[in-house]
Amino acid sequence: MRERVLTTLHGFFLLLVAVLILFPFYWMIASSLKPEALIFRLPPAWLFRPDLAGYGKAVTENGIVPALVNSVVVTAGSVALGLIVGAPAAYALARYNFRGRAQIQFWYVTNWMLIPVVVLLPFYLLAADIGLINSPLALILIYQTFVVPLVVWLLVDQFAAVPVALEEAALLDGLSRFRVFTRIALPLTLPGIAVAAILAGIFAWNDLLYAFILTPSTGARTAPVVMMGFLGGYIIPWQTVMSCAVMICAPVVVGGIAIHKYIARGLTLGAVK
Amino acid sequence: MAEIVIDGVAKHFDSVEVLKHIDITIADGEFMVLLGPSGCGKTTLLRMIAGLETPSSGRILIGGTDVTALPPARRGVGMVFQNYALYPHMTVRENIALGLKVRGLSRAEIERRIEFAANLVQIREYLGRRPRALSGGQRQRVALARVIAREPAVSLMDEPLSNIDAQLRTIMRAELLRIHRAVGMTTIYVTHDQEEAMGLGDRITVMNFGHIEQIGTPDEVYGHPANAFVARFIGSPRMNLVRVEHHPGAAMVETPFLRAPVPDGVAASPKVLIGFRSEDARPGAAGEGETEVRGQVDVVEHLGAQIELHFRTEDGQEVVVRRPRGENQWREGERIVLAIPPRGVHFFDAGTGAALTVPVS
Repeated sequence: MRERVLTTLHGFFLLLVAVLILFPFYWMIASSLKPEALIFRLPPAWLFRPDLAGYGKAVTENGIVPALVNSVVVTAGSVALGLIVGAPAAYALARYNFRGRAQIQFWYVTNWMLIPVVVLLPFYLLAADIGLINSPLALILIYQTFVVPLVVWLLVDQFAAVPVALEEAALLDGLSRFRVFTRIALPLTLPGIAVAAILAGIFAWNDLLYAFILTPSTGARTAPVVMMGFLGGYIIPWQTVMSCAVMICAPVVVGGIAIHKYIARGLTLGAVK
Repeated sequence: MAEIVIDGVAKHFDSVEVLKHIDITIADGEFMVLLGPSGCGKTTLLRMIAGLETPSSGRILIGGTDVTALPPARRGVGMVFQNYALYPHMTVRENIALGLKVRGLSRAEIERRIEFAANLVQIREYLGRRPRALSGGQRQRVALARVIAREPAVSLMDEPLSNIDAQLRTIMRAELLRIHRAVGMTTIYVTHDQEEAMGLGDRITVMNFGHIEQIGTPDEVYGHPANAFVARFIGSPRMNLVRVEHHPGAAMVETPFLRAPVPDGVAASPKVLIGFRSEDARPGAAGEGETEVRGQVDVVEHLGAQIELHFRTEDGQEVVVRRPRGENQWREGERIVLAIPPRGVHFFDAGTGAALTVPVS
């Protein structure tokens, strides 16, 4: 009897949490399909005829499609560069003992807490000087301020969890230090690397502030910046904004669902082992 | 030819001295066991031979070449790790092949060597499996195959049998000997199990607290322990050591519980340990030239074919002997007299532990 009450309560809370998380998504999707007149109606219009005009406007008026392409390029570039720089750094921090190791590791992690506005202006001036304004490269570089710390933070524990004896066996097998890293350490930490890549990708994909300042011209904008563009006037076209929001969220949600198993495993891998 | 010379090797981590000036020469093709309690430095020594640790001083020569400064890959050594250290993301075949590919061997040669090694350790049917799908004993065989296929001049083994169950361990021990005879690699084998050391080694290096207590064949370290540590460490049950006072110059050690004729050369020490092994003692009064020990039975333990008698001398020192089952109905509290012939009696200096005599064999 007690057991059943507890199970029921448990289920009820899970349902509550699910509703809290899912309702905004429902509202976003529903609003993107409602004509303006229906969006603000109270009580809400639960049943309505889906209207795709918002998506049409998002594509034709402000060019969300090229912006999404820009976002993909910037995100992929950021993650790739972040892994190329961050994974070896994390490996070195996990495996080598050198003077200042703890300090460097701490510095990496605290970098992640950096307030973006602090570095925005200096970086804008630098980027302007070397002609990187409106280039995806500018965003890829500035995103390293959070991508690299995130990758290092997540991967140090992953590499540390690889048994040292495995790497020693590989050294005796004749592999160089670099090959031990690529042939043994990397494959064994793949779930963790996937998690780091996805999380870093989500941060890069969602960034508005840097992208807003560093890519002012139309052709170079990323998707969140284009969406913001609709919010500029006196009248806000909510349906179009929500349509953009759905298109920006979709890849993140799909990616998240696809790898949710790895996220749970990757984040606990080092701890449990 | 891969003779190994360890020449004055010492190692300290910060201020902790782990190994003190170790000298060992291991002949080509020899099976040398490094034996000692945990923390004695045997694994550190093995890892220095492998190149995974750097000696603080001294040199290591393999086949006449000074390898002290060479990385592990260029020393011509293979190693079997305590936890096997198989690459979990590769199949058994890939595990064995990795070290061969890195060396740039031809495809055919790699195949030939995998075949040879897999046949020798009998893992052919597992070549396509991942280590995860293998039992402990099978993993151990794969780790061996990985070393054999590399055909190193030297194979190093760090307690390779400590993680498999007792029954399989005795099978693997025989297997290791068979493989060693077949391949003929110079082998250095680390263990804390004296029985394993006795069974496997051509010679045994007994280590303790970072130094060598004795190097010798199993028969030598068992029959002629160089000091009280080796005497206690080798053999099961361990050698009984009875502490007695001795008047220098007297021909007999005389105490209420022990009478022993003193061999030549022992006269110098006033305090000695008199050692004897269970199998050298028999119940009954001592005859001419024999040593006699008396005590009171403390505990009688039944082991199956044998019973183990724990008894105490008058001053409380414990002595353990095994006797065949059914020889006598020993009871607790009963008085017992043991006689030991001269060749079974060992004298050690009670202060330094050094052997004072070499018993007649």
